[in-house]
Amino acid sequence: MTTNAPAMGVATGSHDTVKKNYLEISKGFWSWAGTLDHKRIGIMYLIGVSLALLAGGVFAMLVRLHLWKSTGVLFDNATYNQIFTLHGVFMVFIFIIPAIPGSLGNMVLPLMLGAKDVALPRLNLLSFYLWLSGTCLALYAIVAGGFDTGWTFYAPYSIYTNQAVVSVGLGIFLLGFSSIFTGLNFIVTTHKLRAPGLTWFRMPLFVWAIYATAILQVLATPVLGITVLLVAFERLYHIGIFDPRLGGDPVLFEHFFWFYSHPAVYIMVLPAFGIISDLISVHSRKPLFGYKLIAFSSIAIAMISFLVWGHHMFTSGQSSYAMFAFSFLTFFVGIPTAIKEFSWVATVWKGSIALNSPMLYTLSFLIIFAIGGLTGVILGALNVDIHLHDTYFVVAHFHYVMMGSIALAFFAGVHHWWPKMFGVMYSEFYAKIACALIFVGFNATFIPQFIMGSRGMPRRYATYVPEFEGFHQASTIGALVIGTGVALMVGNLVLSIFTGKKAMQNEWGGVTLEWLSPTPPPLENFYEQPIVTTEVYDYTTLDLRTTQTPCS
Amino acid sequence: MISYLLQDPAKPVHAMAEGVDQYGQLTKLASTFSHVDNLFYFTYVVCIFFFVLITGVLFYSVVKYRRKTFDQPAVSNRTHNTPLEVVWTVVPLIIVMVMFAWGWKGSLDMTVVPADARQYKALAKQWNWTFFYPNDAVPSSGELWLEVNKPAAFTLESSDVLHAFYMPSMRVKRDVVPGRFQTVWFQPTTEGEFHLFCAEYCGKDHSQMYAKVHVVSADVYRTRPWDTWDDKNPKKGGENLYKSLCASCHTINGTKLTGPTWKDLWGKQEQVVEAGQIKTVTVDEAYVIESIRKPDQKKVVGFEKANMTAFDDKVIDEKRVKGIIEYMKSLSNAGSEKK
Repeated sequence: MTTNAPAMGVATGSHDTVKKNYLEISKGFWSWAGTLDHKRIGIMYLIGVSLALLAGGVFAMLVRLHLWKSTGVLFDNATYNQIFTLHGVFMVFIFIIPAIPGSLGNMVLPLMLGAKDVALPRLNLLSFYLWLSGTCLALYAIVAGGFDTGWTFYAPYSIYTNQAVVSVGLGIFLLGFSSIFTGLNFIVTTHKLRAPGLTWFRMPLFVWAIYATAILQVLATPVLGITVLLVAFERLYHIGIFDPRLGGDPVLFEHFFWFYSHPAVYIMVLPAFGIISDLISVHSRKPLFGYKLIAFSSIAIAMISFLVWGHHMFTSGQSSYAMFAFSFLTFFVGIPTAIKEFSWVATVWKGSIALNSPMLYTLSFLIIFAIGGLTGVILGALNVDIHLHDTYFVVAHFHYVMMGSIALAFFAGVHHWWPKMFGVMYSEFYAKIACALIFVGFNATFIPQFIMGSRGMPRRYATYVPEFEGFHQASTIGALVIGTGVALMVGNLVLSIFTGKKAMQNEWGGVTLEWLSPTPPPLENFYEQPIVTTEVYDYTTLDLRTTQTPCS
Repeated sequence: MISYLLQDPAKPVHAMAEGVDQYGQLTKLASTFSHVDNLFYFTYVVCIFFFVLITGVLFYSVVKYRRKTFDQPAVSNRTHNTPLEVVWTVVPLIIVMVMFAWGWKGSLDMTVVPADARQYKALAKQWNWTFFYPNDAVPSSGELWLEVNKPAAFTLESSDVLHAFYMPSMRVKRDVVPGRFQTVWFQPTTEGEFHLFCAEYCGKDHSQMYAKVHVVSADVYRTRPWDTWDDKNPKKGGENLYKSLCASCHTINGTKLTGPTWKDLWGKQEQVVEAGQIKTVTVDEAYVIESIRKPDQKKVVGFEKANMTAFDDKVIDEKRVKGIIEYMKSLSNAGSEKK
């Protein structure tokens, strides 16, 4: 008998009251705020990171509107600097890093493993509250005078500037621990709570990706914590580690910062890879091409990513030998990433492709990530990077990866698992329109930034030379289109909870374990322990009736 | 089409007039062009090739294998194709290694300063650039003059935070790190006016930390265009010095910047802080000279945190200080009346 036995909870309409789903089983504020259920914690994260995304998005819109004219429209220079800093801090530390592991990872990982919950449910709740506290400290810093250091906090400016750097630094310290605890939890869960028969190479690639991410979170994040603490000590006690007036070295700060923040790029992007791997298989109804290679390339990327941080510092004056090694390794880390992209395209080839909204987001990801990855190759070349470093070319490149790829993968995942989480379906029509708006708006925003960056427009400029005005205006119009798309997407999803029609038990025809639990899942996910006897992504085992039966 | 990227933003008139080279790009403006631009266009073409390949296969598949009925299975369940996987691993690896070696070689060439380079110094400070010319006492601020076809090397110094010396037209960028000396060089090959930006975020007016670079012929360079001093008109000379050295912090229209405005400053009774004590001084010749030579001695109340560069007599000699005072007097009712 395969794992998709109908007995395992496909809706029959005969569940007794004991079998209430996790949304209905208890009510009231504390049943959520004090919950140990990974699914409820996942939903709290989903709400939290979505609000952070919207806040970061509002800051982004303010930045773009201000840059409509070369002299700046809305703010004085000092305020502009605070706004772009807020955009960066909210998007990087409060949204992207926790977004996918915190919300979708929490929600889906134990289900995919056939487990009742994560291994350490209390630690899981603590992670969420650390995230919340860190976010509150960042919000407090806005009230307490703001901060204008950029999300990179480069010394010595971050030491001299007379603003709330210490409180936002402590906020990031707490966010870091939230990230470490989440990582630890997922590592233990993956090792210990796999269902019988679920061998490592039968795990969905989303699990592999979250696992690789967890390793990075545990190993890299402490360095960030130490670095922000050192900045705080430098500001409060003048210990002289980064401040050149006291004999400190500002370049040392850059090393520390990027030793975390480059792996952090992969903390952000690996979960996105995981979502895309899973979704592309489900919506092409085809086993993933090169499964093992993709799994291993996630681990390879996780390891090599620790050794490329110096490519953020090609103009900092580091030694030529360091430049040699960092440039070489940077090109090298491109190869496993390229293998993933090729494997995804090969999965679509000769599949059975359903053009629903999660798949549209996935295809958008493949196109945008191709551009984001390939422009990374351009930046890896040493002398080309010297021209493009700290220009809008870099800004466009990392937005293609951060926003165009990771945020779109997050949207894809949310649309994909939405019917699983809530048992309702949003309007596919509006979801597709929102996706199209975001895709078009995104490219309209950032292609002009590639052009002006290649022509020398430096980043973090409140005002600029008038030659670039046309490009900036095109970019601002694109951003307005993205904003419209995101508003439509959020409205469509939220509305579906109240007015959406019932989802199918297995809306998309997935064969990984999460689709074999009832929709929405009961408190402990499965009525009985699932046992895995088939290979991963084997669509011959798919029971098509489950895709046509409304959920309970 | 390709040349659309990397075009010089300033569109220098001279360069435009001389047309484009075999790559369809603008005439090389500096010695660094062959290193940066050729590799850029190579990587760019490679990227376009792979992008078209990826999206082409994707679009073809989506159209061709679209699911028509809900129970339609995949055409093929194949998960491996060893020759294909080897090809798509090895070919990109070879290509990126070529890019790596090319970039490495070029960056070495861009690092080694030729022996005949003129040695300039660029001093970065929140938020202006001051340039010191080889064997020349007169610096310039906000503007820089270079001789065409003569290698120019810069020692970069910062007196506060990180900055970066960035001339997009010359394809050079180097961080300016406080407490370290950094070097950057290039050889401008076309006359014209070019942008010099600060590319490393340095605080409030980062985006206005700008200098205009004039690349001029040897004949023009010999006239030392940065030195605008004229003994017959010290006030005019003072005004020019004000523009190049002082205007980034002191206005002449009453607006408050990093330092006090010069409007109506001459003869004014100012509250200053000396050794922690608040005193009142008259802005006269002695006070102005002291403020230029030892700016930290008596700081005006309200500007205690401002951090002005001290100028010794190698930079602003006695007669030039007098010129600045003449100019300051002309901005003030008190100053003009006394005359």
